Amino acid sequence: MSGNGKRILWLGTLALFAASLFFIPYRDPSAPTERIAREDTVIFDLDRTIRNPGNFNWLTPGVKRLHGAHQAMWEPLFILNYANGDLEPWLGLRIEGNDTHDIWTLTLREGVRWSDGEAFDADDVVFTAEMVINSDAVSAREAIRFQSQVSSVRKLGSHRVEFRLNKPNPSFHIENFGVLNFSSFLVMPEHVWKGEDVGSFEFDPPIGTGPYVLQSATSQRAIWDRNDEWWGLTTGFRKLPEPKRLIWIESGGQENRAQLLSRNQLDAAQHLSLGIFEAIRARNPNVRAWHDGFPFSWTDPCPRQLEINTTLAPWDDPDMRKAVAHVIDRQQIVDIVYEGSTVPSKTLFVQYGAMQPFIDAVVTAGFELPVTADVAAGQALIEAAGYSLNDDGVYEKDGQALEAKILANTASAETTGTVDLLVEQLQRAGIDARSVPIEDGVFWGEVIPLGDFEMSYSWLSCGSVNEPWASMSRYTNNAIAPIGERAPGYNNTGRWNTAATDRYTEIVNQIGVLSLGDPTIPAQVAEAYAYLDAETPFIPLVQAAKVLSFNSTYWQGWPSADNFYVHPMHWWNSTHLMIHELRKAQ
Amino acid sequence: MATTDEKAARQRAKRLKRFDSPWMNPKLMTGAGILLGILLFGLAGRLLWNPDLVYIGSAPLNLPPLGFENLRGETGVAAHPLGTQSSGRDVLALLIVGAPNTLFIGVIASLIGMATGIVLGFSAGFIGGRTDDVIRVLADVMITIPPLMVLIVFQTSIGEVGIVMMGVLLSGFMWQSPTRLIRAQVLSMRESGYVRMARLSGASTFDIMFKEMLPNLVPYLFGSFIAIVTTAIVTAVGLETLGLGPQRVPTLGRVIYEAIDSAALLRNMWWWWGIPTGLLATMFIGLLMINLGLDEVSNPRLRKV
Amino acid sequence: MAAGRKNSIPIAYIGNRLLTFFLTVLIAASVIWLIPRLSPVDPAEAMLGRMAAGAGFVENADQVLFDLRERFGLNEPLWKQYVVYLKNLMVFDFGVSVANFPTPVSHMLAGAMPWTLGLMMFSVIIAFVIGNAAGAYMAWDNTPKIWKVAIPAAMIFTSIPPILSGLLLMWLFSAQLEWLPLTGSYGLLVTPGWNWEFILSVIEYGILPALSIVVVTFGFWALGMRGLMTTVQSEDYVQLAKAKGLRPRYILYRYMIRNAILPQVTAFALKIGLLVTGQILVERIFSYNGMGKLIYDAILNQDFAVIQGASYIVILMTAASVLIVDLIYPLIDPRIRHGGGR
Repeated sequence: MSGNGKRILWLGTLALFAASLFFIPYRDPSAPTERIAREDTVIFDLDRTIRNPGNFNWLTPGVKRLHGAHQAMWEPLFILNYANGDLEPWLGLRIEGNDTHDIWTLTLREGVRWSDGEAFDADDVVFTAEMVINSDAVSAREAIRFQSQVSSVRKLGSHRVEFRLNKPNPSFHIENFGVLNFSSFLVMPEHVWKGEDVGSFEFDPPIGTGPYVLQSATSQRAIWDRNDEWWGLTTGFRKLPEPKRLIWIESGGQENRAQLLSRNQLDAAQHLSLGIFEAIRARNPNVRAWHDGFPFSWTDPCPRQLEINTTLAPWDDPDMRKAVAHVIDRQQIVDIVYEGSTVPSKTLFVQYGAMQPFIDAVVTAGFELPVTADVAAGQALIEAAGYSLNDDGVYEKDGQALEAKILANTASAETTGTVDLLVEQLQRAGIDARSVPIEDGVFWGEVIPLGDFEMSYSWLSCGSVNEPWASMSRYTNNAIAPIGERAPGYNNTGRWNTAATDRYTEIVNQIGVLSLGDPTIPAQVAEAYAYLDAETPFIPLVQAAKVLSFNSTYWQGWPSADNFYVHPMHWWNSTHLMIHELRKAQ
Repeated sequence: MATTDEKAARQRAKRLKRFDSPWMNPKLMTGAGILLGILLFGLAGRLLWNPDLVYIGSAPLNLPPLGFENLRGETGVAAHPLGTQSSGRDVLALLIVGAPNTLFIGVIASLIGMATGIVLGFSAGFIGGRTDDVIRVLADVMITIPPLMVLIVFQTSIGEVGIVMMGVLLSGFMWQSPTRLIRAQVLSMRESGYVRMARLSGASTFDIMFKEMLPNLVPYLFGSFIAIVTTAIVTAVGLETLGLGPQRVPTLGRVIYEAIDSAALLRNMWWWWGIPTGLLATMFIGLLMINLGLDEVSNPRLRKV
Repeated sequence: MAAGRKNSIPIAYIGNRLLTFFLTVLIAASVIWLIPRLSPVDPAEAMLGRMAAGAGFVENADQVLFDLRERFGLNEPLWKQYVVYLKNLMVFDFGVSVANFPTPVSHMLAGAMPWTLGLMMFSVIIAFVIGNAAGAYMAWDNTPKIWKVAIPAAMIFTSIPPILSGLLLMWLFSAQLEWLPLTGSYGLLVTPGWNWEFILSVIEYGILPALSIVVVTFGFWALGMRGLMTTVQSEDYVQLAKAKGLRPRYILYRYMIRNAILPQVTAFALKIGLLVTGQILVERIFSYNGMGKLIYDAILNQDFAVIQGASYIVILMTAASVLIVDLIYPLIDPRIRHGGGR
């Protein structure tokens, strides 16, 4: 070869070596040291990055619980089982309120131990409760809720604690300790936390009472290994769960999730669109969803809705909001966005069995939401407000086109898909609608709480699963922030505040002090609902469907509609019930 | 050696008899035919097919093309011969509306780019001096900047753009190579006999540039034009597959973007991404054929291969 | 150029190339700074507002935001903001990401670069070698007939952007045959680091993206090489070598390819820009961990700082590759050394 040729060759090789240097990046210190066979491992799916893998202070925000921490390590006091409505005792034995629902007494299970051997008792509960009540640095939803409800805590005995509330709350125990939604008030070990600053303590390494301890955590993966000394075994509470290791990995989108499932590298997956699920199932028959046929999905407790800012013209006019409600075709949303995997909402409530009496009351009162659109009725309302169609087929008043900007959180395809369809439906009725994509952090961090939107797609009436108050109370005028200030607890972000709101609030407040199951509640719900129907501060759309897939290649005993022992949300605190039911395949 | 030359000469004579001019090149004709076909498909399609079927929910979902079956076992229907995608848009309608749009973006960008290139190239080559320096350096500099990156910055900060605007934006990156090409040609032509003759006979600079020199540059200009149409379309499709560019107006790139976004590959909905991909590929092959043909027209040595 | 008469590269030539490089980077940087300022909303201000919103999640958010405000110099006159911007660019400081607040953009870019560079090295070099070999064979008189037909047929692909070939390969090898993974850059269950499991996984995941680039780019080199070879073939020195009766294969390597490859190297550098952007799109469809995915996610999240930073890096890469080739060119082509300039 010639000299020049050689030179080129050398330069090329050199360049290659230089490039490969980039690949010497890091040696992962958290690599698992011990090999545990795949068939002893359960792999769960995580739909987000663990931004702060070295921080286990759940009271401050971040992904600090759903990567296994509260499914495997931290146990709740009770678990509300959606399957039968029971409040299953776990670290707690029982909790009772007084007749006025403002003093609650908790009794703890005896013999519970932290994974470092220390005893778990009333001191830990009182310590954690007081720490949260007295801190202004906590921001987790469960901590804020507890803080706002509880005025004082008192130790009654080594395993008994008394909570005094600011005001009566008949569902205090479920809301705070029962994993009502996603998580619960998690008790922290006093012997580790004592003297630490709540806002900055990282709690690393973390300990808990659960049957698994942290092996390692990186931003994409958290590994938990079984603690064979778990308290449940010694006290006879339960046997050790079968899996020796639990792994949570960030799958990074539906396609990756689907691949992992079809290659048996994932046992419990987050939501997949129905089309993708069907494709996976065709390849891997061991994968199944909640139902083994249509609609396949599990109904998420947060029905979807169109949120409207009721302070901005022209949407401050209830008739205009009603017009929008008329032109929305719920069935089309179900058919197109969910591909038939859900149903249209009948009311604002989630369609669970326990909610049926309240839904029935609203339906009987004549406020059932229509399944399809009535464009003519909507247009009549718009025209009554003084608008007329221009040449482009858009409504116009005084030369001003009727516009609607709908914010879409870019975090999920479901959201953007629904908003695109809503835009299309509004456009067809003559409203010049547009979709405005907003990044997840900004969506929840700024525009929604501050009220900086015209319309948005969200699920903020979410809350009720077994009684109506939790959802209805979110649209009262109890604490309405002006536009530009944060709506407390994301409640009434549309700032609905009229004479009708006052009447509505009055009734909802009455419902709030009644015991769960009081026979007068359904009638009162229907009465309050009349105001929601008349003013339409938000428009309920469809039930939210989650196609959650479980893979039975390595593990059996996953919950399903045929084996409904617990609800299937494996990123919830209630997953403890699931883990104990898993059995090795073969 | 002599015999090969004679053979070549005879072949060339035969070719000359068969075709009246080098422009009747088979590759050139095939390429032009393909592009015209796509254009006609779009234009005729708008008359024969309902273009409103490109909107969400205007058709049933996930139907396969006629004669095929989808995952759910549904078969294609004649009302949607190329199938539908997952939000109820008709694939045929998407192609009919999208293909001409894609081509249109490329042509707008190239026409503007070409015109700019001709003016700048001639100015640089003919006027020379400072003007030449500035234009040459600018062209050298701009040719290194990848258009996609700047356009991503543009679209994310300015927001949605329409078809024409997209073409105009792209044209900002399409003038450099014609400028360089024309400048080089003008520089070599400036000293050629006929230009000198024209100058001696007192023709104005403008006349010399556009009446004497331009016609001789036509094959080069044409080749350059096709090359930048290709670049413009590739860049536009790139932007569209990133989710930028026109949103409610379908383009082939946008259709592919939505298909990727909805996991059409996993769902085996090949008609959704495959047909627009095929159409785009055909478009590029057509452009390539024209380019190869033009190469042969302007560089006769290649013709023997 | 008198300075170039000796066996060294003319200083003026180097100066010229460096100047072009700096001008390119400066103009590009200015354009991506200027564009957002043409929009009615000042993106820096908007970005700050959005960060303030996202900052609820960060402990020392106030300090970070204060620093940012200082750094953007939002109350300063425009020219001063511009100078500050350029100064920050020089140290690769692009601010912090909105979507991953408060991660600095430079960290995200540093995480993505190895993947992009690795994939590029892999695919571009393979394409360059295969392409040039194919082009040379196509033009060579002694090539068997079958190759003369097969190679041009394969070249139909060259006109297709890699994103389209990528889709086709994904469908065939991942969705249908299930031989290779569909998306991602390594298996999620392997531990990144220097272990065989990881390296094999990277290769497994890299094959399809690389292949989709190779399939459509090798033809470009082949075409160019064929053109150059036909020119070279009729040069005197080749004719002379033939007349001397040297072996055809020896003539092919020693005389023809060697002379034809040089312009290809220049074309290579000029093409890098297009290749990088083409590859970015390939990375996007394969969800490959490199710049493509970073940019795509940033577009989705309207994470402007990331987009700006990534654009700057890609432009810098392109300009640098042109500069490097320009500088090493005289070393391999004696004509430049003696003639100076191009």
